[in-house]
Amino acid sequence: MTESKLSIVDLTKRYAAGLDPAVDRLNMEVEEGHLVALLGPSGCGKTTTLRMVAGLMDPTAGSIVVDGKEITHTPVNKRGMGMVFQSYALFPHMNVEQNVAFGLQMRQTSKSEQKRRVAGALDMVQLGHLSKRQVKELSGGQQQRIALARALVVEPTLLLLDEPLSNLDAKLRETMRTEIRSIQQRTRATTLFVTHDQDEALDMADRIAVMNGGLIEQFGSPTDVYERPRTRFVANFIGQANFLNARVLSETGSAAKGETHYRVSIDGLGQFGAVGAPGLTGSTHELVIRPHRLRVSLQPAGTETIAGVIERVNYTGDALSVAVKAGDRVLQAQMPTSSGDLPRAGDAAYLSWNEQDAYLLPTPVKEPAA
Amino acid sequence: MSEARLFKPRFNPAKPAFGILVFLLYLFLLAPLLIVFVVSFASNQYLSFPPEGLTFKWYEMLPEESTFVNGMRVSLIVAVIVTAIVLALGVPVALALDRFEFKAKAAVQSFFLSPLLIPSIVLALGMVLLFGPLNLNNTYTGIIIGHVAITIPFVIRTTLMSLATTDTSCEAAARILGAGSWTVFRRITLPIIQPGVIAGGVIAFIVSFDEAVISLFVAESGLPTLPVQVLRYVENSADAAVAALSVILILISLAVVVVVERVMGLRKALR
Repeated sequence: MTESKLSIVDLTKRYAAGLDPAVDRLNMEVEEGHLVALLGPSGCGKTTTLRMVAGLMDPTAGSIVVDGKEITHTPVNKRGMGMVFQSYALFPHMNVEQNVAFGLQMRQTSKSEQKRRVAGALDMVQLGHLSKRQVKELSGGQQQRIALARALVVEPTLLLLDEPLSNLDAKLRETMRTEIRSIQQRTRATTLFVTHDQDEALDMADRIAVMNGGLIEQFGSPTDVYERPRTRFVANFIGQANFLNARVLSETGSAAKGETHYRVSIDGLGQFGAVGAPGLTGSTHELVIRPHRLRVSLQPAGTETIAGVIERVNYTGDALSVAVKAGDRVLQAQMPTSSGDLPRAGDAAYLSWNEQDAYLLPTPVKEPAA
Repeated sequence: MSEARLFKPRFNPAKPAFGILVFLLYLFLLAPLLIVFVVSFASNQYLSFPPEGLTFKWYEMLPEESTFVNGMRVSLIVAVIVTAIVLALGVPVALALDRFEFKAKAAVQSFFLSPLLIPSIVLALGMVLLFGPLNLNNTYTGIIIGHVAITIPFVIRTTLMSLATTDTSCEAAARILGAGSWTVFRRITLPIIQPGVIAGGVIAFIVSFDEAVISLFVAESGLPTLPVQVLRYVENSADAAVAALSVILILISLAVVVVVERVMGLRKALR
């Protein structure tokens, strides 16, 4: 195994005795050069975790190790990190150049070296021409870039981003997303990125830590957490999902990546194929199917289908989503749109899916007492 | 083409009425100053209005009036030292009140702001009684302690106002970039709150320079400040020299305010 750039071991933060911990024995390994997103709803402990890594907050317990060196109690100003704040936190009384040079001055870099590196950092964020501007003359997107340049110019051991995009408007956010990612990849800065926006996390991160209630629910690549959620919370928080309780009847073969194909029975709807971790036979698990992975057909097709009635149609031009009522369940599905006739509420619909798109959550559902 | 006329506001009688009201208020506030100004050039033998002729003799008198010159010196020394002390104490107190949570916070806050609420005559009386046994009456130390007490609330208030509007993540950003606490204070916090600190300093200077009650009680006989000298002068003689002195003082205050406004933007600081 390669040495991790950052290891977080049993990190815990309790704001006051008696309160539930904001971060509860969190463990995480971050590889050199990776961008890791801490993703979760507000209050899940993601910002607290980031602030502890930065040194702005003392952990109640646990340790933080960077490059094999324990830094849990190292003062903030000795950690050599770079951070971009949600409010950007540019120094209002300094111009752009002075802002970016601040970290270098603290490191007593020579004047000529400072000049060269500040210019380099400003070029990197394409704002070299604004070096003499006052901070308050800059737009939100520009301030954001300056904050990024200021954090990166010191070649930080870790780059910490605290919801850096949430104060930008939607269009700019997309541009900055791509830009931050490409700068991060060019500089190979190991990065922790706090966000509550799943799209940002999926788009930008090498690894996503989905957090909830001070715990990491799942730590994995974007495709992992999206395609193979470990818990209902993860499936629900990242993208949309249909959940069906499925009794696992038997194994039908082995699938890719060590997974297993299963026959499952869904109450009142019949038997279907699904995929999941090995060894699930005999218990009941939640089956996760993404709406756009459900095929909707208006004529009966094939055997393994769920027959239902379209309850609601939402047409947004480039997408068509339908709610299909089957028995007492309502399933969300997406259909391609065409210029032909659109389905209408009340039409019959038949749902089917590819076996590998129906994923059984690894933890069994508690059987209701029979 | 007639559209523009549609949007022309109709005559609003409230507007000139408001203008007149503002004018009268200013007149009310400034009338005493105007009269002092006029009287200082009047050749009347005694302080009176209206003037009988034009003269500069009162101004010519000022440098020869040793009580005024001495008083001016005492007042300036006191005001400068008081301003320095009050800034050195008030800014850290304001920082502590803004940044830290501690048990007696409300009590500390009230303690430092209380001199604003207590009549100065009460404070002055207390000080005379306290300073007597300490041999501080009629000393610079005594006057300065008294003035520090009454001016520190201003510095704390204006600094707190500046602190309330600053983004603390600036300080966090500086620390992460490698700055120690003192560097953060000197390079980040202080420049950001500078307008409030300067406004507090200016107010403290003017209040101290102007202060009569405490100075009168604590140091009338031994170390009279300029306001005390003015009071004494008016008691004994009734010529217009004090008017001339007043005009000089107004001009000094005005100069301080204008310079600070030009250099630092006092208006921004007081807002």
